Amino acid sequence: MTTPAQTLGGMGHSVKRKEDPRFLRGKGRYIDDIKLPGMIYMDIVRSPYAHANITKIDASKALALPGVLAVITGKDLDAAGLAWMPTLMSDKQMVLPVDRVVYQAQEVAAVIATERYIAADGVQLVEVEYDPLPPVVDPFKALEPDAPLVRPDREQKNNHIWHWEAGDAAQTDAAFASAEVVVKEDLYIPRIHVCSIETCGCVASFDKVEGKLTIYMTTQAPHAIRTVYSLVTGIPENKIRVISPDIGGGFGGKVPVYPGYVIASVASIQTGLPVKWIEDRSENIQADSFARDYHITAELAADKDGTMKALRVKTLADHGAFDAAANPSKFPAGLFSVVTGSYNLQAAHVEVDGVYTNKPSGGVAYRCSFRVTEAVHTIERMVDVLAQKLGVDPADLRMKNFIQPESFPYKSPTGWEYDSGNYPAALQKAMAKIGYADLRREQAEKRARGELMGIGISTFTEIVGAGPSHTFDILGIKMFDSCEIRVHPTGSAIVRIGVQTQGQGHETTFAQIVAEELGLPVENITVEHGDTDTAPYGLGTYASRSTPTAGAATAVASRKIREKAKNIAAHLLEANPDDIEWSDYKFQVKGAPGRSVTMKDIAFAAYTNHPQGMEAGLEAVDYYDPPNLTFPFGAYICVVDIDRGTGAVKIRRFVAVDDCGNIINPMIVEGQIHGGLTMGMAPALLEGISYDENGNMQQGTFMEYLLPTAMETPVWETDKTVTPSPHHPFGAKGVGESATVGAPPAVVNAVVDALAHVGVTHIDIPMTPWKVYELLEAHGLAEG
Amino acid sequence: MSDEKQRVTLTINGQPVSAEIEPRLLLVHFIREVANLTGTHIGCDTTSCGACAVLLNGVPAKSCTMFAVQADGANISTVEGLEQGGVLHPVQEGFFQEHGLQCGFCTPGMMMTAVAFLERNPNPTDGEIRQAISGNLCRCTGYVNIVKSIQYAAARMREQQAAPAMATAGAEATQ
Amino acid sequence: MALHFEGTQQIKAPIEKVWQFVLDPNKVAECAPGFKSMEILADDHFKPTLAVGIGAVKATFTLDVQLEDVQPQTHAAMRGRGNAAGSAVDMKAAMDLTPVSADETTMAWTADVNVSGVIASVGARLMEGTAHKLTAQFFDCFRQKLEAPEEAEQPTETEAPETSGT
Repeated sequence: MTTPAQTLGGMGHSVKRKEDPRFLRGKGRYIDDIKLPGMIYMDIVRSPYAHANITKIDASKALALPGVLAVITGKDLDAAGLAWMPTLMSDKQMVLPVDRVVYQAQEVAAVIATERYIAADGVQLVEVEYDPLPPVVDPFKALEPDAPLVRPDREQKNNHIWHWEAGDAAQTDAAFASAEVVVKEDLYIPRIHVCSIETCGCVASFDKVEGKLTIYMTTQAPHAIRTVYSLVTGIPENKIRVISPDIGGGFGGKVPVYPGYVIASVASIQTGLPVKWIEDRSENIQADSFARDYHITAELAADKDGTMKALRVKTLADHGAFDAAANPSKFPAGLFSVVTGSYNLQAAHVEVDGVYTNKPSGGVAYRCSFRVTEAVHTIERMVDVLAQKLGVDPADLRMKNFIQPESFPYKSPTGWEYDSGNYPAALQKAMAKIGYADLRREQAEKRARGELMGIGISTFTEIVGAGPSHTFDILGIKMFDSCEIRVHPTGSAIVRIGVQTQGQGHETTFAQIVAEELGLPVENITVEHGDTDTAPYGLGTYASRSTPTAGAATAVASRKIREKAKNIAAHLLEANPDDIEWSDYKFQVKGAPGRSVTMKDIAFAAYTNHPQGMEAGLEAVDYYDPPNLTFPFGAYICVVDIDRGTGAVKIRRFVAVDDCGNIINPMIVEGQIHGGLTMGMAPALLEGISYDENGNMQQGTFMEYLLPTAMETPVWETDKTVTPSPHHPFGAKGVGESATVGAPPAVVNAVVDALAHVGVTHIDIPMTPWKVYELLEAHGLAEG
Repeated sequence: MSDEKQRVTLTINGQPVSAEIEPRLLLVHFIREVANLTGTHIGCDTTSCGACAVLLNGVPAKSCTMFAVQADGANISTVEGLEQGGVLHPVQEGFFQEHGLQCGFCTPGMMMTAVAFLERNPNPTDGEIRQAISGNLCRCTGYVNIVKSIQYAAARMREQQAAPAMATAGAEATQ
Repeated sequence: MALHFEGTQQIKAPIEKVWQFVLDPNKVAECAPGFKSMEILADDHFKPTLAVGIGAVKATFTLDVQLEDVQPQTHAAMRGRGNAAGSAVDMKAAMDLTPVSADETTMAWTADVNVSGVIASVGARLMEGTAHKLTAQFFDCFRQKLEAPEEAEQPTETEAPETSGT
């Protein structure tokens, strides 16, 4: 007979996913699967120029095509006050331009037609005349006095957006002044695009009779969208319904409000018909929210014995033509100030300057945890640079400088309070698993024979679960999250949450939380989310926040139910509530385990036999304000071999030891790590976006922008340590982005390590074969 | 070049589907919008991602890179046809058991490619599997569990092949 | 994407004939790759429509071409700007003629072309190769027509050679 825990499928069980049955049968409901009666289609005319005045838009030929119903331009939207919309960073962004385009592939007009193909035909027939202007593509040049002005609409007539600082400059300067060793590097983390396999889209449907706008949208944050829509359009929120259907990958790329959504909504309001807009892949890559594009100069000060003292970082952030990064409002550079990482530094000073250029907007849309990818890349690279300078082993240098387990909660020099961590244990486990000492011996032997082998380490601290209301908000909305649970008389439950899965398995994991807390079998618990009419208000899923915030809310709501249930148990067992305890998923009388009732018994009683004076029913809601963020961490070790004839880097082995506190579903966590590692390797070796001097993007389709296939991706080896979060209701931390954060510097450190003996100290990503080969040639190591 | 509609009949998962269509209608749109089978997905516009992969007369084909008129008279298999009589195909079972999917968007194309591959190569190495699915992009899983899912299916399918032979042997033994 | 081309052609025809040919938009159009039609607005201002393919992208450009700096029998320059759906092209070109003999002329030409949009993004890697090919096609046609023996006047609306890009 199985134990109750196994049949329940609660915490720690690798329960098979409840969402799989429909996906396996091709019965998922993604945005392009939605068909509404009378639905019409929208396609978008886009600018070939990165910077130009629009002198004329002639839609006559398009309008003459049978099936084309309307062509919407910026002038049409301007008349309704909708040509511009607010961004999540309190900037504003064009929905459609009235007279100027500011990035290539910018939306210029929209064609509405009865059929998808006719809308595309219509786009070919809209004639737009442009007067090209010189674009500014280099963020450094953008700050020069005679640079083309990207945003003449702003009061401040230059391309500088904001300046942001963290840490203590004076303390840092003092530490540098007294340091015996200082290392300095320039690092460029190029623009990349997350390219989830499903692109973005929406079906906007305005019901003229009810005056209600329903919009199906690929969005990771449906409630926030609803509120923004309401504020911009004036339609009250009870008359706006945002529905996230099944989403084919988000990773942050489905957080922004894209102009297409707004134009489709306007078209639907005007026509009273449902309007579908689905972007092509090339539109997705060329116009949608990007990630990274940080130009960083970092300095690390230390003593000769390797004790790290201070860190100084200056960054130029290329934000494109609008500041539309989806960061919490007080953090224009996201959580970049966690850049002191896993190390006990005395002082740090971080400065970031945001700049406008003639490129699409964005900044955090590639599983980056609000710029933690950039932060970890910086510190993990600098630690290796320092190790190389001092001639010490990078593992030893890390061990020496780790924040020690007994120092938690730990206050960092930039003001973060790390909740818990055990960095030495994670690194030791990774080193043992990969056989670090043997690898170093092998490397020495290979080096003597002229073979290039490298070992790279990354010991990262992540910072997730935004966030406490005293510090975090998006456009003023605090970043709590929520859960509502209703238990039925026959012992099943429906759980509604404010976060939004895009493949992370919430329908399973959140049911598991409730299974654990209430002792109800996981298969009898349904999780719903994504419909703003029914789900409690939440801020959505991104930056690995769901388990830390909504997961906590789910546990707390469950415990509120358990509190009421205890009183019903007391009534059923004819005992005093103080004598009732919850043990082994049952309520029992203390000291008399034979006298017990299950939650199923209680659920029935809540509707049929509840104590006099008590409300019937068994439900609860919780809006959880996290007291702090959570700090997952990990130790990654990467082994590479470099082909001297081609410059190709092959990842021979990659061991990832992750710690995300208590784990709900080990199978799902492991899957998140595999996917995250792949999205960490990709920017390190394959992916990067560049622009030519005219502002043309040079990787506009999957032919040029290369995603890793099963051939490039190594067999990831994963393991874990468990250091619970002391403040989280069940000790869990987030994990979705840990691997994307931790992996890239491990790969770079490995490649640099392979070439350190000839004096290479840094390589910028992506480390394509051509880039590596040029380096080999420069150092006399190239063959053939 | 004619804009005139053409009548085509495609057999999809064993069912004939006839319609008058424009010659330029892509096969994937025929499947999704004329036959109303939305399990086959579109992920790119350069034939790079494989989300649209179906079987065309048993051979994997990227349905976004064909016109429906080119498939006139052909037998098409899509993900909706994998489950038979309420029983999941071993490939579907493998993806379920081994957590071979997360967002599910690449999964139909991935599974159809796997189905055709395993019919040709019932006992593959992991490397052969990776090569077979190298035309199917996945952004969520990192491929490790997809390879395990396909190995699971391969083992199941080998068992199922062996089972009838054992029954025959058993019958002979008792004669 | 900015492209620069230049070249020299030896044409076995007298300089007057070459000059006349070069200034006649209809004659030049006969050789333009993917030529579909043209609107003539003035002696020095025309709007040809060309269908051009680079790799997977085919676009129909309507160019606005303005001749300038015309020095008879010696030099001519032109500016053009064109749009297609999602793509744009800006170009400057110049040509110098020098007589070699009574029956032979040297034509030296330069062209600067700036391409933007879909064609530049998707076709970037094929751009230079295709542009060279199309340019070679153009001048070969030019030279062939000029060197052909005299024929009766052809109607100006002739079929232009179809180009399929790559």
